[in-house]
Amino acid sequence: MKEELIISGRMNQFIDPTLHIWHWHIPLYLFLGGLSAGILFFAAYFTITGKEDKYPTAVKLAPFLTPVLLSVGLLALLLDLKHKTYFWRLYTTIRIESPMSWGAWTLMVVTPLSFVWSALNIKTLFPNWDWKYKFLYDLEAFFRKNIKPIAWILLIFSLILGVYTGILFSAFNARPLWNTSILGPLFLTSGLSTGAAAIVLLSRNHAERLTFARIDLMLIGIEVFLIIHMFMGFLASTQVHIEAAELFLGGPYTTPFWLFVFTLGLAVPAVLEMLELKKFHLPYWIAPALVIAGGLIFRFLMANAGQASRWLY
Amino acid sequence: MAVDTKKCVGCSDCVVACQTENKVPIGYCRDWVVEVMDGTYPQLEIEIRSERCNHCENSPCVRCCPTGASHYADGGVVLVTPDECIGCGACIASCPYDARYPHPDGYVDKCTFCLDNRVKKGLDPACVSVCPTKCMYFGDLDDPNSPVSKVLKKRKFKTLIPEAGTQPQLYFLI
Repeated sequence: MKEELIISGRMNQFIDPTLHIWHWHIPLYLFLGGLSAGILFFAAYFTITGKEDKYPTAVKLAPFLTPVLLSVGLLALLLDLKHKTYFWRLYTTIRIESPMSWGAWTLMVVTPLSFVWSALNIKTLFPNWDWKYKFLYDLEAFFRKNIKPIAWILLIFSLILGVYTGILFSAFNARPLWNTSILGPLFLTSGLSTGAAAIVLLSRNHAERLTFARIDLMLIGIEVFLIIHMFMGFLASTQVHIEAAELFLGGPYTTPFWLFVFTLGLAVPAVLEMLELKKFHLPYWIAPALVIAGGLIFRFLMANAGQASRWLY
Repeated sequence: MAVDTKKCVGCSDCVVACQTENKVPIGYCRDWVVEVMDGTYPQLEIEIRSERCNHCENSPCVRCCPTGASHYADGGVVLVTPDECIGCGACIASCPYDARYPHPDGYVDKCTFCLDNRVKKGLDPACVSVCPTKCMYFGDLDDPNSPVSKVLKKRKFKTLIPEAGTQPQLYFLI
């Protein structure tokens, strides 16, 4: 029998007895980032492919959420910082090795563009909107003329943002549960899925809802595939990775994960979406609402369980 | 730095010396003592280790820091510049040894090997100088005549979780 303990006494705040440096801020920030990335990806994609009129909710209406979501996410990040008055230091350097750094810069690209995108579509919400000043009209005309390049930038950066929400965790090899590169694609897929779900929730157009239900169904399939692969990878890896997987396979996170994320957040909405595509009449909002709630719970579980997984002691 | 697990008695003088020398806020510590009990009574083996930041050569904390506040200083000592630290916690999450903590003033704090306040003046770090059993050896690993280089030449040693890939520079004599 082997027992290791700290005999000098150590109770550093946020570190002991297990790491808990990140509370609700970071998982919320990652959820909102992923959701915004999903919405903006579809808006940009259907603009590039010239389907603005076919999918008006995805291109024009849903992106109105993103400036709000991203601002709340950034506010959560700011609240999480312990040395808040120095936050501007994030933007005096770019460190490619640090996901926190290039993620902050990615948000610096995506957030202003989300405001621009909303401004260009302001007449969808307020048909009588008046910009008042000539330079604002000129600015609008400039952005409208360059909408395709902007959509391309948004498409690429929304994908980077989606991947970043996962890479932020997976860069930490000190936390075996996070230390898997599958987290990048997994969080991206989850973000796109919640984005598609948000579009279904907002859409008043039946054909558009069905298209996004179909997209969401495909994304859920990919997500399930990635989750299974994540656990397979852990179970075939070192002892610390096996122990990390066991947090979800019999450990304290088993019920919340398999009930709320896997069953209610993925399996049930997938079945509901399938039924809807088979022309069963169901309240359309149930599946997307479950997907969004599942995505949020998933971020919280990964953030907490990751901090509980470790190498020694 | 090397710590002799055969000589360490776990008195925690190193912890108190560090707290005093570095004005570590009350309730926090930059170093700590771990006791490992192995076997079944009466066949017991005990190992005592004074632990702190491993000043890794491939430091995940330096890699993850978004502002460059965590950096390699003279001789490979890993330090934090308080004025550049935003307190995001990335380095804390990235450390497999849990050697860092957020200082109540906001920035992230950890063992400095007393680089500026003692070592640059030619003194040993506080923990090393105060140890009643002289179980710690400090110095430049690139200098073959430093106390730490000498002791590592003649004794068996180990590092903690080298499999984490951080190339830790805190050696435990066994």
